[in-house]
Amino acid sequence: MYDMQCPGCGHRTAMMLIDQTIDELNIKNKIIVGLDVACCSLLIDELRYDAVMCPHGRVLPVCNGIKKVQHDKIVISYMGDGAAYAIGTNEMIHAAHRNDDALCIVTNNGLFAMTGGQIPPSAFDEKAFDIVPLLKNMDIPFLARETLSNRENIYNCRKYMKEMFESYMTNGGFHLLELLSPCPTNNHMSVKENVEYINVTVSKILKCGRFI
Amino acid sequence: MRKLLNGNQAFAYGCFIAKVSFFAGYPITPSTDVYEFFEKEMPMRGGTFVAAESELAAVNTILGATIAGARAVTVSSGCGFSLMQEGISYAAGDFVPLVLLNVMREGAGLGDIPRSQGDYDQMTKGGGNGDYHCIVLSCSSMKDCVEAPAKAFELAEKYMNPVIVTYDSDVAHTMEYVDIPDEIFDKGSAYYDLKSFSRDYARKKLKFVLSGENTPPRYIQNVYYHNKDYDRILADKYDDIEKNCQVADEYRTEDAEIIFVAFSTCNRICLEVVDVLRDKEIKAGLITPVSLYPFPSSTFAKIIASGHVKKFVCVELNILKQMTKDIEYAVKFRVPVETIHSMSTCPTVDEIVYSEVINNV
Repeated sequence: MYDMQCPGCGHRTAMMLIDQTIDELNIKNKIIVGLDVACCSLLIDELRYDAVMCPHGRVLPVCNGIKKVQHDKIVISYMGDGAAYAIGTNEMIHAAHRNDDALCIVTNNGLFAMTGGQIPPSAFDEKAFDIVPLLKNMDIPFLARETLSNRENIYNCRKYMKEMFESYMTNGGFHLLELLSPCPTNNHMSVKENVEYINVTVSKILKCGRFI
Repeated sequence: MRKLLNGNQAFAYGCFIAKVSFFAGYPITPSTDVYEFFEKEMPMRGGTFVAAESELAAVNTILGATIAGARAVTVSSGCGFSLMQEGISYAAGDFVPLVLLNVMREGAGLGDIPRSQGDYDQMTKGGGNGDYHCIVLSCSSMKDCVEAPAKAFELAEKYMNPVIVTYDSDVAHTMEYVDIPDEIFDKGSAYYDLKSFSRDYARKKLKFVLSGENTPPRYIQNVYYHNKDYDRILADKYDDIEKNCQVADEYRTEDAEIIFVAFSTCNRICLEVVDVLRDKEIKAGLITPVSLYPFPSSTFAKIIASGHVKKFVCVELNILKQMTKDIEYAVKFRVPVETIHSMSTCPTVDEIVYSEVINNV
């Protein structure tokens, strides 16, 4: 599954976690996925769900449009950090501010992976873009961050994901789960080194946990 | 019901006739009336109104609503419409039947709010990136504005292509009496209750609608990715549009020697000019291109073939003679084409009647 991705890529893990959660909750026939462009869009051909490839950074508006028409569906907005924290920050903040019904999963690898590892405004440096302080005081039901590195953390991600889906199905509202993801290809590291880097360095800059 | 409406309000009522149940937008003069209208009317009728954070979000929200099966619309003007090009280009690439309204205002960049037709090239020749055209429909009277949305959605869903409805800010703010069907105001009618309608519509098995229940799953993405034969598909689509969508109104052209070509505000002035010139025994006529893309070349070909026309005069509101170039192309330089144009100052009837362009025939 999802073999368009590079070895060690977090997108594959994230998508598999989504698949598992959907199977566990038995909601496959209710899912519509909005994917951003770049590495996320490579997933589209293997998805088991109806999907739309949205303009870069506009996943949340597109998914908002879908959800407002098809109220009973579960619309997943899946994007990378470029879409969420660079070109689409405006859409992200306002979707949270309006508390739109959104199930937003951000796979953050701290670089522009598809174009070859350029530095984004959300790079993992000392001034890394942290969404938590911006959304923490907003009236939203779910906000969490976890790393897609070692086994315990991935189990944690899965736990968050299930909580998030359940909360979305019962109450609606804006849900954001950020997954800090390795990108061994563009970090020029082995998978092991990259996992170590996320566990040791990145998780110190961007604190993990459930905030709301 | 007979109502006194301006162009924007007429367009908004037209949207209800076309069963539009979703609006997202960002206000900009001179298109704000439509935003205001839906802000009030949509929640009352059970439709959806989204106050988007930008034009980018507005166009993408209606992109989402459209692929979920509702009929959705957004409006903008000038620089706001430029921001929407991203979504329009995506809709063209993904074959999504998007419908938008562009109320044209003056100038490049911020420009100003008076009447103008400077967006002609942007709308008819592209605007966004890539190999695509939008179908563009022009409105000159309030009646046109009421009828435009239904026509636009029909074309959009037939050709799976974005459609832009356009007029300039004078038509947007001129008021005229116009007939609106009574069902639009009747609280018991199916036209009034947008909620039930929007849900039925979403469930209809349109070929592009994402419902979450499709097997195999349906992907909305650029036609280039999922069709090996995309050049033929695109070429066939635009050939079909160019052949079958040309619409033009003619006024007293049957024996005319001098034929005006104008749309929107200029069209309203030229209608009177033609009558005045006919009283002075000058054989004048008027062609109104209703579809700006595809440009109604067949009407020009038919008139040239009948042999009585000596000159075409294009009256338009831009410096670059944007529509004149299309007319020259349509008449293949066999008949002279002259232009009366300015950036945003409409010529008066007298200015046209006594202009050199007329005297030289």
